[in-house]
Amino acid sequence: MRSNTSKWRILLRRIDWPLVVIVVALAGIGILNLSSASQASGGFNLHLTQTVWFLLGTGVVTVMCVFDYRVFERWAYLLYGGVLLLLVGVLVVGTELNGSQRWLNLGFFLMQPSELLKIGVILVAARYFHDREQAEPYRLRELVLPFSLVGAGIFLVVQQPDLGTSLVILIIFMTSVVFEGLHRSSIAALGLAALVAVPVGWTWGMHDYQRQRVKAFVNLTEDRYGASWQVRQSVIAFGSGRVWGKGHGEGTQIQKGFVPEHENDFIASNWGEEHGFAGMVLLLGLYGALIGRALTISRRARDTFGAHIGVGVAAFIFWHVLVNIGMVTGLVPVVGLTLPLLSYGGSSLLTTFIALGLLMNVSMRARPLH
Amino acid sequence: MNLSSQNSSGGTPGDSRYRWLYIAVAVAFAVLLGRLWYLQILQGETYHRVSTQNIVRNVEEDPPRGRIFDRNGVKLAGNRTAYDVVVVPHILRQHDVEEVVDRLRRHLNLTDQRVDDLRSSIANEDGDLTVRSDITRGQVAALETDKMYLPGVEVHSHAKRVYPLDEIVAHLVGFMGEVNQKELRNLRDVGYGPGDYIGRMGLEEAYEGVLRGAPGIDRQVVNARGISQGSEETRMMLGQLHEVEPMPGRDLVLNIDARLQLAVHRAMSSYPSGGAVALDPSDGSILAMYSKPSFNPNSWSGQLASHEKMEADNDPFKPMLDKTVNAYFPGSVFKIVGAWAGLDRAKFSPDEEVDCPGYYRFGGRRFRCWKWGGHGEVDMAEALQHSCDVYFYKLADEMGLEPLSEHAFRFGFGQRTGVSINQESKGRVPTREWHRRHSPNGYQPGFALNVVLGQGNTLATPLQVALAYGAVANGGTLWYPRIVDRIQTGEGRVLYDVEPKVRKKLSIEDAHLDVIRRGLRRAVNREEGTAYDARLEEIDVAGKTGTAQVHSIGEVRIQNRNKVFRLRDHAWFAAYAPAEDPEIVVAVFLEHAGHGGQEAGPVVKHIMETYFDPSNEAALARKVDGVSPRPEEP
Repeated sequence: MRSNTSKWRILLRRIDWPLVVIVVALAGIGILNLSSASQASGGFNLHLTQTVWFLLGTGVVTVMCVFDYRVFERWAYLLYGGVLLLLVGVLVVGTELNGSQRWLNLGFFLMQPSELLKIGVILVAARYFHDREQAEPYRLRELVLPFSLVGAGIFLVVQQPDLGTSLVILIIFMTSVVFEGLHRSSIAALGLAALVAVPVGWTWGMHDYQRQRVKAFVNLTEDRYGASWQVRQSVIAFGSGRVWGKGHGEGTQIQKGFVPEHENDFIASNWGEEHGFAGMVLLLGLYGALIGRALTISRRARDTFGAHIGVGVAAFIFWHVLVNIGMVTGLVPVVGLTLPLLSYGGSSLLTTFIALGLLMNVSMRARPLH
Repeated sequence: MNLSSQNSSGGTPGDSRYRWLYIAVAVAFAVLLGRLWYLQILQGETYHRVSTQNIVRNVEEDPPRGRIFDRNGVKLAGNRTAYDVVVVPHILRQHDVEEVVDRLRRHLNLTDQRVDDLRSSIANEDGDLTVRSDITRGQVAALETDKMYLPGVEVHSHAKRVYPLDEIVAHLVGFMGEVNQKELRNLRDVGYGPGDYIGRMGLEEAYEGVLRGAPGIDRQVVNARGISQGSEETRMMLGQLHEVEPMPGRDLVLNIDARLQLAVHRAMSSYPSGGAVALDPSDGSILAMYSKPSFNPNSWSGQLASHEKMEADNDPFKPMLDKTVNAYFPGSVFKIVGAWAGLDRAKFSPDEEVDCPGYYRFGGRRFRCWKWGGHGEVDMAEALQHSCDVYFYKLADEMGLEPLSEHAFRFGFGQRTGVSINQESKGRVPTREWHRRHSPNGYQPGFALNVVLGQGNTLATPLQVALAYGAVANGGTLWYPRIVDRIQTGEGRVLYDVEPKVRKKLSIEDAHLDVIRRGLRRAVNREEGTAYDARLEEIDVAGKTGTAQVHSIGEVRIQNRNKVFRLRDHAWFAAYAPAEDPEIVVAVFLEHAGHGGQEAGPVVKHIMETYFDPSNEAALARKVDGVSPRPEEP
């Protein structure tokens, strides 16, 4: 009884306030930005719905922090197996939208298990490297188990099909592997595999609309009303924001419907047009701080499992931000990736909060509680 | 503290690995910020402009075209709103096509053929399609009522030119036609676009710049689908810049009297082809100007039925040719030139009598007088009265060609009158020089004998004849023809008054003028005069007939009515009245109609009667007022 109360006290004292401040700031920007996006989407109150998701997310983080994160270490492979089962379920009884089958209909909510796979991959890598504790760089043959597990997950996601998500899962995992250290011969082998995979993937692995996007990316102006139209309009939205932006709710590109998906994958256009370069510096600064905080937590973690969760969550945020901002400003092809904490949508938000919950947990338990 | 001990033990990540991660993140974020710097700072102004253009659509607003009125305010050309039904296939296709097509068929009485075309166009998703143009107001109302069930069907309105008097002032007023691709190349710079209309004939063509006005621009804020965001938002975002008002075209008020014009039309009703000009000799104002056969400018403006165009093209009477400014053999109406030349240059005494035996001997040939038996002894006035050819042969023989051509030029023949419409011909006054260049054997002395009769190579337009007789009537002043009296705004504010303008003073001696006038008066008022048929009971008319041969007489004289139509004589009559103080000059030309006195004389008489008889005028006023059955908007 007494020890229990003291445990709660210690946990409360260990709350990572820098992390909280950064996340609340990003969430605040997200809600503010969505209130402008709602106006453009014909008055749906997206920002209110999003607020509810933020509160739910806070609950998830709180609940996750109650248990020692090492519970996840123990259950990592089992949890991962559960996610794989959900992905199989998606292929069998999933809900189809716009030509791809990515969702499980839970009645009140369309769940997207491929989002959970991002967490699953972080856990699998953390568990595997935690178990090995190897000082020398890894060789590929020593990584057969995690590669097979992650490969199985990616295979299931590609079947939906969802190329963007499978790619980001692969690079999150690869970040962990590279962080842990790879033997030179293995790096060469992987590079060679990638060289082969690109033309093969282009010919057999990609769908027409995906090839179209890449082609459109190569020449932005050629297909004005097709695949690149969206990117072109997004680029105009950013550019026209100039230094200080057009003001909240005043972005003509967004408000007059020139940027499709502006409340979702293209949410950054909304912010960039209405708040300009200054707003974007603030936004990227906050993301940078979040990634930095995750790496700090990783560094201070009490064990390899915790350190890898820190790196994995940092990679998760980093790659989403890099690819998403790169794609909406025309630097990389459109692959359909959300911007964490800003894009509208429950699955993406809950996944982000699960990742943040793990991070907070690691931070709070950097030292033994007693 | 415990960090180092924990991490170093199992070879877990050390600081150097984190350093690489930090560097990677920093580099990546620098790239993103660099991109944003480029877009938002360096290219910011450019993209801002593009984003503004994105939401602004410029809609060109056509100005209302200027109207044309006669001197009493009778409308000769105006505008009304026409409604077209346009189908937008890509919208319609998203709905029940059959249902919509069926409704359209019922509302617009479409033929099965049209319905089939419509279906295939919708299926092929062609561009916007005009299903029917110029529908009735009833149809517009029916479509509006049914709007809910007609997705993708739009009613477009545009101004349509209307000519209430139909064919009565067709050549003078002109009509409108769509600009073609070739013209567009030059006209694009002055604001014409595909589908725009432009004046095609008469005043519509000559005063295009005045009548057209300048288009305005209506800027609207639109969204990505091109849908207008409403006037309030437009005003808020664009302020005063949102509209440039179109400048309406200017109205023309003519000197033409529609009632007189109608009188000419009716007087010429039994002749297939010809032209007539009536003018005020005191200032050159054109009172009527009519060419026959005419055409309906309402059919010619816009989409002409192909059979109508073909009929006009194949019509031997050339309905699209304005015969008032086209040149023909003038025949004996040209004799005033010979008379003046003889008096002025050859110092012919007007009282000297010439014996007319019915022919004149010249160079071993006999030049015939129109009267077989001859006129006996005639002086100059009598020669004009009887139109004695022999008198004028002798005149020409004695003075030669040169004085004739000189005085013809002085009367304004052989030069454009400056009327500025319908590509007027300048006619032809043959000179020695002209003959040297154009006659097979060069100039021959006998040519003067043909020219003096208005034959040979002499050509004159009815307008030239009317103006020359105007100069006789007013004592020697040749005026520029004046069709337009003033240019004014739609509200009636006068912008420009077209002042009468003297073309030249003839410098004709009063004594010479008196002789000519005496001859012209006798021609109408003496029983044996050639134009006795044209006399009026109460008003003294003076005039000269002309019967122009279209081919040489030869040895055998053939009755006119027995000739092939195109070889028949032209009938002319040019007259002014009252003879003492002339108010009106009328020149009538009837192509291949035969004898001037018998055919053209009565036509002029009818026109004069209308001009001078007030009761006739009232009757015509009713007629003119009743001519406009079409609804019209101001």
